Amino acid sequence: MSITDEMIRQATADLYSWALRKVPDDTKAAMAAAMETETSETARKTLAMQLRSAEMAEDKNTFVCSDSGVPVYFVKIGTRAPISGDLKKSIRAGYEILVDTIDPPLLQHVTNPLTLERSYHGKDMPIVSYDLESDAEYVEITCSPKALGSGRWASLELFTFPSLEEIETYVLDVAIKAGAQHCPPVIIGVGIGGTFDSCASLAKKQTLRTIGSVNEHPELAAMEERLTKAVNSLGFGPMGTGGDTTALAVHVDFSSGHGFTPVAVCFNCWINRRTRARLWGDGRIERME
Amino acid sequence: MAEHELTLPMSREAVELLNAGDSVYLSGEIFATAGMPTHDRLLKCLDGKEELPFDFTGGALFHLGSLIEESPDGQMRIRYMNPTTSTRFNGFMPRIIPGLGLRFTGGKGGLDAACAKTMRACGCVYLSFLGGGAPIITSAIRKIVAVGWPEMISHYRVVKLEVERLGPLVVGIDAKGQSIYDSTRDAANARRASIIEQMRIEREA
Repeated sequence: MSITDEMIRQATADLYSWALRKVPDDTKAAMAAAMETETSETARKTLAMQLRSAEMAEDKNTFVCSDSGVPVYFVKIGTRAPISGDLKKSIRAGYEILVDTIDPPLLQHVTNPLTLERSYHGKDMPIVSYDLESDAEYVEITCSPKALGSGRWASLELFTFPSLEEIETYVLDVAIKAGAQHCPPVIIGVGIGGTFDSCASLAKKQTLRTIGSVNEHPELAAMEERLTKAVNSLGFGPMGTGGDTTALAVHVDFSSGHGFTPVAVCFNCWINRRTRARLWGDGRIERME
Repeated sequence: MAEHELTLPMSREAVELLNAGDSVYLSGEIFATAGMPTHDRLLKCLDGKEELPFDFTGGALFHLGSLIEESPDGQMRIRYMNPTTSTRFNGFMPRIIPGLGLRFTGGKGGLDAACAKTMRACGCVYLSFLGGGAPIITSAIRKIVAVGWPEMISHYRVVKLEVERLGPLVVGIDAKGQSIYDSTRDAANARRASIIEQMRIEREA
C-alpha cells in the first residue's frame, strides 16, 4: 500500500478543477455576514450577486471566473508517508491531464514573460513548492491558482528595524494602491520578517488560512483586527463601487530574521480559490476543502 | 440609485442621462475582447494600417474574456465569459473610445482620469461588471453574431454578441466624467491619516 503516481496525478487535476468551480464555504459565510453589516446598498447588491454567481457555478458545475490563473500547488510531504510515485513528475503529468480533459476548457493564461506568448504550458509550470510535515503519514496538496486580477497587486518592501506602525502603514498603503483592482472583498496575506523569499511565501500561505481562524500569536491577532478594520475604512467596497467590505480578512504571520525586515502583502480575490487534499497510503484521496 | 433597462444602440443624449452608481441591464448587440494585443491591433487600424473587423460606431466594447468553442459543424458557442481588468487598457482607451466612436465601454476595475475625460468629451459610459460573475454574465448571451480576428486565441478575439438583460452592471464612470473609481480613491487617500492614527490609538490601548 502506497501513494502512487496515479493518485498524485488524479489529485493534482481534481484540486485545480474544484478550485475553479467552488468558492470555499468559509468565504461564502464571511460574505453573507458582511451583507448584514454593510451600509452601502450597491455593496449589498454586489455581495448578493457574488454569492449568486458562486451558487450558479456549483449548480451548473462551471467556472466562477474566466481567468483560471496559473497553476500553483503547495505540497507537504509527511516524513512517514509511504510514497511509491514520483511526486514531481506526477504533479506535472496531472496538470497536463487537466489541460487536456477539463470541461469547460481553460483559456490560455500561461504567459512567457519575455515574448508575452500565451499557452497552457511553459517553463516551470505548474509552480510547485514542497515542504515536509514531521511524522505525518500523508502527502497534502493545496491548489491555489493565481489569476491576473489579484496577482498583480502583491507587494514586498524591505525595512530595517521597522516599528509596528511602519509595518501596518505599509500594509495600508499597499491596500490603497490596489484599490479595487483585485476584485474585493479580498483576503489579505501579510508576511513579516525572514528573508526576501521566505517572507513572500509566509504572506501567500496566510491567504490560504481559514477565515475566522484565530492567530496563535496574540499580538498578531490584534494586528489582524486593526488592519481588517483599517482596510475596510478605506471605503472601496465590493468590486470597488463603494462600501465597507473591502477585505474579508487580514491574516498575518512572522518569521525571525535579521534587522532587515521584509514585509510582504498579497491578495486573494473574493472567489478565494483554495482546495486541499490528503493522499494516504491506503489509496484514499481525502478532500479537505 | 436608479435602475435602468437599456436597449442598444443608444444615442449620446440617452447615455448622458445615466449617473455614476446607477444599475443597468443591457440588451442588444455588444462587442467583447480581453486582449492587450487586440488593443494594439485596434490602434493599428486607427492608424490606417489594417481594416477594423467591425463598424463599432455608437456601440459597446467591453473588456470581457470568453471561451469560444467551435463544434465540428462550424457552429460557435461561448462556454463562459467574464470581465478582465480594464485599467490595463488605460493607455489605449483615450484613442480607442473616440476612434471607434464608442457609446459604452466597461469591464472591471474602471479606467483612469484621462479616460474619464475622454469619455466626457465623447459621451461614453463605463459599466462595471462583476469579476467572478461568469455564470451570471454568460447566461445573458443569446447568440454569437460574428467573431472578429478568429486567428487570435479565444479571449483576444473581438466577439460580437447579442445579449438579453446583461447585468446588473454598475455605471462606474458616467458621460459627465463622474467616476466612482476616482471618488473612492480620493476618499481613501483623504482618510489615510486618520486611519493610521486610529491604528496607533488601538495599538497603544
